Amino acid sequence: MSTATATGEKKNYLNEHTGIWSWIYTLDHKRIGIMYTVTLFMFFFTAGIFALLMRYELMHAGPSGLMTPDQYNQLFTLHGAIMVFLFIVPGIPATLGNFLIPLMIGAKDVAFPRLNLLSYYIYVAGAIMALVALSSPVDTGWTFYTPYSIQTGQGVVLMTGAAFVLGFSSILTGLNFVVTIHKLRAPGMTWMRLPLFIWAAYATAAIQVLATPVVGINLFLLIIERTMGIGIFDPKLGGDPVLFQHLFWFYSHPVVYIMILPAFGIIAEIIPVFSQKPIFGYKAVAFASLAIALIGFFVWAHHMFLSGISDTSAAFFSIITFAVAIPTAVKVFNWVSTMYRGSIRLDTPMLYAISFIFIFMVAGTTGIYLATLGVDIFYHDTYFVVAHFHYTMQGGAVIGMIAGLHFWFPKMSGKMYSETTAKIAFILIFVGFNMTFVPQFVLGMHGMPRRYFDYPPEFESLHFASTIGAFANGLGYALAILNLAYTALFGKTKAGRNPYNSLSLEWQTDSPPIHDNFEVTPIVTDWTYGYGEPIKGQSHH
Amino acid sequence: MFRYLPEQASTFAPDVDWIHHWITDISVFFTVAIFGAAVLFAIIYRRRDGKDHKTPQILGDHKLEAIWTVVPTIICIFVAVEGLLVYRDIRTPPDKAMELSVTADQFSWSFEYPNGKKTLNEVTVPVGEPVRFTMRSKDVIHSFFVPAMRVKSDVLPSIFTRVWFEPVKTGRYQGYCTEYCGAGHSTMLFSVNVVSGAEYDRWLNDDSQEFMMSRMGAEEKGMALYEQQNCITCHSVDGSRKVGPSFAGLWGKKEKLTDGTEVTVDENYIESSIVNPNLQIVMGYGPLMPSYEGQLPIEDIKALISYIKSLEKTTIAPASADPVAAAPVDRSKLTPPELGKLLVQEKACGACHSVDGNKLIGPTFKGLYGRKGKLADGSSYEADDEYLKHSILEPMAQVVEGFAPSMPSFQGQLSEEEIASIIAYIKTVN
Repeated sequence: MSTATATGEKKNYLNEHTGIWSWIYTLDHKRIGIMYTVTLFMFFFTAGIFALLMRYELMHAGPSGLMTPDQYNQLFTLHGAIMVFLFIVPGIPATLGNFLIPLMIGAKDVAFPRLNLLSYYIYVAGAIMALVALSSPVDTGWTFYTPYSIQTGQGVVLMTGAAFVLGFSSILTGLNFVVTIHKLRAPGMTWMRLPLFIWAAYATAAIQVLATPVVGINLFLLIIERTMGIGIFDPKLGGDPVLFQHLFWFYSHPVVYIMILPAFGIIAEIIPVFSQKPIFGYKAVAFASLAIALIGFFVWAHHMFLSGISDTSAAFFSIITFAVAIPTAVKVFNWVSTMYRGSIRLDTPMLYAISFIFIFMVAGTTGIYLATLGVDIFYHDTYFVVAHFHYTMQGGAVIGMIAGLHFWFPKMSGKMYSETTAKIAFILIFVGFNMTFVPQFVLGMHGMPRRYFDYPPEFESLHFASTIGAFANGLGYALAILNLAYTALFGKTKAGRNPYNSLSLEWQTDSPPIHDNFEVTPIVTDWTYGYGEPIKGQSHH
Repeated sequence: MFRYLPEQASTFAPDVDWIHHWITDISVFFTVAIFGAAVLFAIIYRRRDGKDHKTPQILGDHKLEAIWTVVPTIICIFVAVEGLLVYRDIRTPPDKAMELSVTADQFSWSFEYPNGKKTLNEVTVPVGEPVRFTMRSKDVIHSFFVPAMRVKSDVLPSIFTRVWFEPVKTGRYQGYCTEYCGAGHSTMLFSVNVVSGAEYDRWLNDDSQEFMMSRMGAEEKGMALYEQQNCITCHSVDGSRKVGPSFAGLWGKKEKLTDGTEVTVDENYIESSIVNPNLQIVMGYGPLMPSYEGQLPIEDIKALISYIKSLEKTTIAPASADPVAAAPVDRSKLTPPELGKLLVQEKACGACHSVDGNKLIGPTFKGLYGRKGKLADGSSYEADDEYLKHSILEPMAQVVEGFAPSMPSFQGQLSEEEIASIIAYIKTVN
């Protein structure tokens, strides 16, 4: 990179300073975004390998000989805990959010750059605690339900301690984004002109700030319960194990929206650009994000319909849960309508976005079964639930993130990846993903419970298909990320400022951007989605 | 489409399935329509020759947006209400429902009937009668799930929870634990055995072993035999060491035998150990087990094998120290009663003969010396030196009335002096 500057190449955030210390001490939101991306994907692949080991064990009925039931239980716990706490929750906000929010609103950086770096290092500290916890692996499931988590091995303290620390990173990132979006928008960038990704990131940040402290307190109480026996969750000491579930899901349901809302934001950015049309119903899509974030706080007990809660509260939480379906459905309708009469280019980001529509339809409609009380009694804690939340978490949040990484990769690196390789990876991911989880829906319909090391032989063919799909899925992710990593390090094809002809601010500056993002502070005169020929009598305002 | 639900074995199963299938149809319709539209648009409006064509700046359409907000709202209200109605039925047991008590622990289910009868991992209920299960856990949270009945509820250590159903057809239905509860979670299964009312009454009130056993699954029958045939005296099921090896974690284990060879515990080894126990003795144990040849039909042996299999994953308690190896004593310095006491420990006589007056499998040693009584063949005896010696060497020849002929002979295993020491010890137990 230093040679590049010597040959007179323009300075950018990547080559302005070089050397390892220029990264470790960086306050640049773009570099912090890149550091998060690299770290997060190390954990993504670690937890992914755990998933493949589990799928290998379940490929045939009967023990495979590779692991004991205890080790299997540790694997699904670590898979879940690492995926949730170290990958999907920081996920899009920490990676693309950090990189894009200042660029999209025309700012030089986030409001508190030092706090931003601090939240990265808090994340690293939490991650190291989680890695140390691997020495005595937890077997509680990522949900740490009491009283089992009070009785089982000592790893619980370190692992919940890690999640507790990671929570601070999440809160600080959320706080930073809320202030940034409120205070640092460029002149003329009014709320109604904001890109939808910013609306989604804003709603997400609000949840991060409001919900994370609750799970922090909950996990802290669990640690105290284990070490001092204060009797808050342990029924032997007069505690209530279901209280843990309430506090846990009070965070961990809104956290689903921390994961998925930014993905919605990404899809709402990709579809207008690759259709060259304004987003259909901008206000509805923007407010749907806020509505989902708000309603998301009042649905937590739908994870607990069978946990011994009262029938009245079950009815209440069921009805509120249905209310989330409405803004979500509105979003999907609006995305598809945006494509109507567009000029559609089917590059990799758009392929992911279209596949996202299918996957999210499946995720959303299977959620209806689980919100319906009489049907949830049958499906609760079966493979149907496993398949449903993987359609939202992996099919939604992860594929949305992969779509975003491909879309903004030219901006982040200044280079263009191999489209062919990216499309092969897309096909592997899409086919592999559906092949993994469609059989799991069917297993759930047959009544197969989740978290089973072994199962009756009649379920074998479905499990076998699911395992084959999982390996294809994993291969797809490896190929997609290797393609991007290889291009970032060794790619030669320059991307240019705005390869996809977007109107959004981040595409109006250099690729990769300069350290301060823009040469001069941009003055915004129009909204982000003014694509196409204006129609008489219609305007955004 | 996607009609994969299990058979309908309870009164409300058809109601659950109706709303389920209704959601499926509406979901498939909307998914195909919406995703179909996206794919269609992608094909019709795709960019050709790498160039953008003109697009209209359509910003939205309030009428359309109102429609696609209101229509899903109506559908959701309908589904939510239908789901609530079914839920109300599933959660409201009729007053006349029969009451069963369920206790869950890691990793088994026990059921108790109104008359006090208890079963393990299997519950028998009459067809056409509502049954209400009141449930409590002894340790962590479990969950009671019978797919064919469409019922499920968590089982908590802190409060009682309940489920009910009314079976509509006879048969055996699989039940699962569906709340993760530890290492044996996936083995925590049970079955629901639905029988006719008459058969249920007979089953409930018939305590005869034959009838109970004929209704049991192999595992449960094996467990009953384990108690009934006194295996329990010498073989633990929790890993603790008794006279013989524990059944916990025994299945599939490689055992070293006293003749130096190694054997894997499988069906054949267990059968041979029941029928001809002293042929293959595991290192560290004595040849003490009586043969059950001719006493157990092959079905019973199979049931015991199933039971031992089911204990494969049982957590093994830390092995207690080997009592023989633990105390290296210079025997020549012991008085006869002391030596006798040591021998009684080594030979595990205590497994069948108490020293505190309790009746175990054999007569207690307490006050035995000098006792007079009747033998099984009607003749009388007096427990003097001669009688006791004879009983050690040829135990079956003079069994006391009320006891089973199950003691192995110690012929050739004890010297004259050792037998005398044991008798000297028995004399001291009064």
